Amino acid sequence: MKRKIILTGAVLAVCIMSFAFTTIQQPKPWPVPDKFAKIANPVKSNAESISAGKALWNQHCASCHGKKGLGDGSKAAQLKTTPQDMTLAAFQSQSDGSLYYKIAEGRDDMPSFKKKIPDAEDIWNLVNVVRTFKK
Amino acid sequence: MKLKIKLPNSLFILPVCLVGCLFLLQTTTLYAQDTTGVAKQQTAPLKARPVKNTFDGTMIIDDQTVIVPVKGTFEFDIMHRFGTFGNGYQDLDGLFAPANIRLAVNYAPINNLYLGLGLSKTDMLWDGNAKYAIIKQTKGASPVSVTYFGDMAYDTRLDGDHSLFPHTTDRLTSFNEIIIARKFSDKFSLQVAPTLSHQNSVNGYYTKLDSTGSKVFEEMRHDQFGIAVAGRFKITESTSFIFDYDQPITQEPTKNPHPNVALGFEFTTSGHTFQVFMGNYTMLNPQHNNLYNQNNPFSYTDANGTRVKGGQFCIGFNISRLWNF
Repeated sequence: MKRKIILTGAVLAVCIMSFAFTTIQQPKPWPVPDKFAKIANPVKSNAESISAGKALWNQHCASCHGKKGLGDGSKAAQLKTTPQDMTLAAFQSQSDGSLYYKIAEGRDDMPSFKKKIPDAEDIWNLVNVVRTFKK
Repeated sequence: MKLKIKLPNSLFILPVCLVGCLFLLQTTTLYAQDTTGVAKQQTAPLKARPVKNTFDGTMIIDDQTVIVPVKGTFEFDIMHRFGTFGNGYQDLDGLFAPANIRLAVNYAPINNLYLGLGLSKTDMLWDGNAKYAIIKQTKGASPVSVTYFGDMAYDTRLDGDHSLFPHTTDRLTSFNEIIIARKFSDKFSLQVAPTLSHQNSVNGYYTKLDSTGSKVFEEMRHDQFGIAVAGRFKITESTSFIFDYDQPITQEPTKNPHPNVALGFEFTTSGHTFQVFMGNYTMLNPQHNNLYNQNNPFSYTDANGTRVKGGQFCIGFNISRLWNF
C-alpha cells in the first residue's frame, strides 16, 4: 500500500511539473517599423474605395485569406503559416499603416504586393476592405 | 474475520497514468495582442486617376486589349487552338486533331510600353511585337483608352529551292492597329480596333506576257484593312464572358478571308489569366489570321450561287502568367 501511494505521488508530481512547463503559443510576431505603423490612411473608406478594394481582395487575397478574412481560403491549408482570423479584435487593433506595411512587404507565405499592386491608393483600398471584416 | 480484498496493481496504477497523460498532452494557448493604436483617417485628395482593369489581361481571344501592365512586368503566354469541328468522334470534334500552338514572352521595360516575342507552330512563325498605351480612360479627361499595337512576323519554314519564298523578305508580314476601349461599368468593357495587315509577297500569274508588255494578276492584295470588336462581361469577380469579332474589310480578288466570331470565358487569379473559347481563327498571329483565315463561321451563298459551308469553329485556350520584378 505504501508503495502504491509513493508511486501515485510520483506520477502526479511528474504531471504537475509537465504542466508547469507548458509552452504559451501565439502567432509569430510581425514587428512593423514605427514610421510605417504611424502612417495615416489617406483614403476615405467610402463605397468607391471598398468596391475597388474588394475587386483586388477577390483577385489577390481571397484564395488564402478567404472571402471574409477568416483565413479559410482554398489555399490556406497548404500554407506553413495559418492566416489569422481578421474579424478578431486582436487583429483589428493594429493601425492602418501597419496593415499597409504587411500587404506591401509580405513575409514567408504572404507575398509582397508592392510590385503587383504598385499604386499606393489600391493598397489603402485593401486596408479599408480589411476593416470591414471586423465583427 | 477480517475481510481481505486484494486488488491488482494495474487496476490502481492504470487510471492514474491515464489521468497523467491527459495533463501531459494538454496545451494552453495564449494570444498576444498588438498594441499599436488605430490611425486617424483623413479625406483622400480629389485627383482624377485612370480607370483600372478595363480588361483583366493583355489579350482577349485572338485580339490584343488596351492593357499594358506596369513597368517590370514579365508575361509568359501559351496559346492553343485545336482542330475544327466537323469530324465528329473521329477526332473528338477537333480536340484530337492537329493543333496550333504559340509560346510567347512579353516584358514592360518602362510604363505604358510592352514588348513581345513569340513562336507559333504553324509556319514556324516568329513574331515580334510592341504595344504602347497612348491614352488612358480617365474621368473628366478621356472617355476612352487608346493603345497602339504593332506586330512583325517571319515565316521560318524550310524552303531549299526557294519555291515558296524567292526572296528572304517574302517571308515577312506585318500588322498595325489602334485599339480604342471603354470601361462602361465594373462589369462591362468594350473595345474597337481598325486594323491593317500587310504581306510582302502574294502569289500571282501573268495574264499577258508578250512583246507589247506584261500584266500580272495578283491573287490577293498586299494590304488588308479590317475591324476588330471585343468585349468582356463580368459574371463574378474572377469569371467573365468574353467575345471577339474580327471582320476583314478589303475585298480580295481571290481567297477572300473569312471573319472570326469567337465566344468564351475568362478566369483570373492573382498571377494567371485563363481563357477558354470557340472561334474561327487558328493562326495565332493577327496578320496571318486577317489575311489567310479560311474557316467560315456561317454558311452563305456566294455571288456564283455556290453554297459555302459554315460552322468551321475550333476550341482554343489562352493561358497567361505574369510576374512583377
